[in-house]
Amino acid sequence: MDLSMEEIQTILNRYPPEQRYSLAMLQDMQHQFNYIPRVGMEALAEYLGCPLSSLYAMATFYKALSLQPKGKHIIKLCDGTACHIRGSTALVDGVKRLLGIGAGETSPDGLFSLELVNCLGSCALAPVMVIDDTYYGKVTLEKLPGILAQYQEVTPS
Amino acid sequence: MSKTVLVCCGTGCLANGSAKVAAEFHRLLEGSDHAVEWLVKETGCNGFCENGPLVKIDPDDITYYKVQVKDVPEIEEKTVLGGETVDRLLYKNDQGQRVRSQRENPFYAPQHKIALRNIGAISPTSVEDYVAHGGYQALRKALTMTPEEILDEMDRSGLRGRGGAGFPTGRKWRTAAGYDKFPKYVACNGDEGDPGAFMDRSILEGDPHSVLEGMAICALAIGAEEGFLYIRDEYALAVKNVRAAIAEAEAYGALGDHILGSDKKLKLSVVRGGGAFVCGESTALMASVEGRVGEPRAKYIRSVQRGLWDQPTVLNNVETLANVPVILLHGGDAFARMGTEGSKGTKVFALVGKVKRTGLVEVPMGVTLRHLIYDIGGGVQGDRPFKAVQTGGPSGGCIPAELLDLPVDFDTLKSRGAMMGSGGMIVMDDRSCMVEVARYYIKFLSEESCGKCTPCREGLRHMLQILTDICEGRGQLSDLDLLEELCHTLADSSLCALGKSAPNPVLTTLKYFRQEYEAHILEHRCPAGVCAALTSFAIDAEKCVGCGACGRACPAGAVSGERKQPHVIDPARCIACGSCREACKFGAVVTKGKVAG
Amino acid sequence: MNITIDGKVCTCEKGEFLLQVARRNGFYIPTLCHHEALPGQGCCRVCIVEVDEGRGPKIVVSCVYPVERECTVYTDSDKVRRQRGMILSLLHKRAPDSELIAQMCAHYGAPALERLPNVEPGKCILCGLCARACSELSVGAISTVNRGVTKEVATPYHDESPVCVGCGSCASVCPTGAIELTETATTRTIWGKTFALVRCAKCGAVLGTAEELALAAKKAGQETETLCERCRKVALSQVLAHTYGDE
Repeated sequence: MDLSMEEIQTILNRYPPEQRYSLAMLQDMQHQFNYIPRVGMEALAEYLGCPLSSLYAMATFYKALSLQPKGKHIIKLCDGTACHIRGSTALVDGVKRLLGIGAGETSPDGLFSLELVNCLGSCALAPVMVIDDTYYGKVTLEKLPGILAQYQEVTPS
Repeated sequence: MSKTVLVCCGTGCLANGSAKVAAEFHRLLEGSDHAVEWLVKETGCNGFCENGPLVKIDPDDITYYKVQVKDVPEIEEKTVLGGETVDRLLYKNDQGQRVRSQRENPFYAPQHKIALRNIGAISPTSVEDYVAHGGYQALRKALTMTPEEILDEMDRSGLRGRGGAGFPTGRKWRTAAGYDKFPKYVACNGDEGDPGAFMDRSILEGDPHSVLEGMAICALAIGAEEGFLYIRDEYALAVKNVRAAIAEAEAYGALGDHILGSDKKLKLSVVRGGGAFVCGESTALMASVEGRVGEPRAKYIRSVQRGLWDQPTVLNNVETLANVPVILLHGGDAFARMGTEGSKGTKVFALVGKVKRTGLVEVPMGVTLRHLIYDIGGGVQGDRPFKAVQTGGPSGGCIPAELLDLPVDFDTLKSRGAMMGSGGMIVMDDRSCMVEVARYYIKFLSEESCGKCTPCREGLRHMLQILTDICEGRGQLSDLDLLEELCHTLADSSLCALGKSAPNPVLTTLKYFRQEYEAHILEHRCPAGVCAALTSFAIDAEKCVGCGACGRACPAGAVSGERKQPHVIDPARCIACGSCREACKFGAVVTKGKVAG
Repeated sequence: MNITIDGKVCTCEKGEFLLQVARRNGFYIPTLCHHEALPGQGCCRVCIVEVDEGRGPKIVVSCVYPVERECTVYTDSDKVRRQRGMILSLLHKRAPDSELIAQMCAHYGAPALERLPNVEPGKCILCGLCARACSELSVGAISTVNRGVTKEVATPYHDESPVCVGCGSCASVCPTGAIELTETATTRTIWGKTFALVRCAKCGAVLGTAEELALAAKKAGQETETLCERCRKVALSQVLAHTYGDE
């Protein structure tokens, strides 16, 4: 993968080289690249003058950060209590049947990642699914194929 | 007289398309001939997300629900310009009458809004709008008071922390004020993680200035000049609005080097949470703000003494802080007149789950669960039997039907093994399995435990295994004693509140729903029909009308039958997901134990 | 101030940690993650005791519990014994290969918990002392990784660490001997990385790895050591004798 050191440097330059900004810089990388590239973490360790291990500990501790590249579209299925008792588990199975990916997995074509997330605070719309930044409320197994189809790229015939 | 169109743009309404509705109003406004002066405002969350997008027209006091773009021209023509109502968009109350005002809506009528006072009425980040609604007056008043006077007012209010533990806010501030060690910090806990609670998100999105003002007043009382708002990264809109509000407040002079022209200063900034439930715990949150792994430390020395960078720090929850300006402005005594002996003021609850009207409600402390669920919430969805209400998230417990008349406050819920927590109320019906609910919370906690101390890390792992075994038909009766023993070890010996309160969902379900555990273990049957390994469904031919709804809902193609003829479920293909049962309007799908073979 | 431990009146300073006071007064409280050089770890929970400050007894963790007021302490009450037994059993499931944990389980009558499976083979109890020793005393080559039930101690990306100097601080603080450190006549292997050993130029005793000695020299701002401590003293006394020695 071709990662621009320039983009990494831009992120680092937003903050002073202090430990208190390490989480923010890691989050910015996550937003930029959909994961924390190793070169990015190494550059950050050098910038802060801290051991790589302390950043690696953070990157594996915080759920918002990921070491694996994510798919182009990130499906977040809410498994908060309200969604859980209104059938989020069935939706996980539904996505598995439709896309062949389980929670935490990315489809082989790199198009989708499925994440089972904690409460998104939209309990009144349970069960909730978020694809990229779009919220879908009261999702049912019947609605699921139609929603996913919007993100599936049309293969030219 | 000019009219205001308030379009709810909380996360819930946005999910239902309110951004497009607002855009349509703006488009019409631009083309308007201004015969009637009107303006459009995007507001924060009104709390009734299920019926969104909400549109309110003032001063007519008309609220429309489930408004779509196609409805907008009609609303403009009839209501904004004409002063008539569009009846079909009004809320239908339990008697079937359509009501104009929120005050006539059974969901809103019993509410008493303090923490949520401005939400839905103002543009969230606009400092002018906030000031026009009485904002920053409390801060102005606080600047004329001594720290001691502010602390006295807080003590008199009886305000207790809304984040869960219910520690008296005034006492916390007074302790911090007492340390002669500088710098001191003020921090806001916006790492709302309890599944089923979203009042903090709503306040941060919809009225961020109220939280900033509360923090500024706290800073004056304790002598802090810097503060942080730790907000979940998932709450993108909240982060955006709080940042914008800080910038506006600084430009207005309410924050910065000279608070409202005084020689007091306060610098506030947002720290985005990293996605760890444990960071709702104060010492873990502080570790995270400092840029470290969010592991708690032993709290024998409190964070109010040794908090951020080992300096005195006051950490308050979002809702707590939103109450502060009201207390300062109208006096602690006025606030203390609401609520119960030990729990003053109001509390915001997230009423969700299998209840007819779901959303955010703010009521005085001490109302009963029955009032919340049946009067405001309208009862259980589909009028099914009520089974339990789960309060307080993973630290809370499940409260059964026989306790529905309990008044809700900090101490009453605690005495029943539950907890008010941050105010999540998840209603469950006879189709919710209490063993599975316990398993769900323990799974959640085992993933969210930081893993530092032995009881929490190892105890949760084994508790999850035992509960999973019970849900899948491998449980033994002796497991229940072992579960209880593990619960006691966690409660007594864990490092932080996450581990100490983790047993609550298990202990309360064991206490109030033991027979359900026993059905799983002894009869290999899940009475609620949730645990797939112990459940099968069949269609009652007498009741089936052959409408085919079950077949369309079935993801496994297990249902067959001719139209208008009784359908049948093929047990070999059935995955026991329960979709058919949810889809059937005639109660023809019956729940049974696992069919042998 | 005075506190009472198991019926005996003991004197202590305000703010002193309970474990310290108890040990000074001859009470044995078992510990695993407590290390004098790295205080405050407080996570294994084996050193729990019951403390009554006038509002009824409560379980506290003695290694990090500061004595702030007069109190009565029970180091071996029924409740302490039951909870400690449970904690040890859980640690035994986590680290079934640790003889120390097995012995402690036997000594404190920990329940067998046959119903529960072992987590995985090994000796590590995930106390994290090694990671702290590495970051505070050495180079920060290892850290805790992941969280909750999936927590472990590892190098970044589980790779051979480019910064590890093979000092073995991690292994020396480990209460259960879980960190594998092997030495041959010329090499030391730890965390999957092999280091050349440097020996005393005079007597041939092992000084440490070359990287470890270089790091120590850099920290102290001195030349890299070539002699062991004993030979260094001998050499020093010879220099002194030569300078001031009898004419």
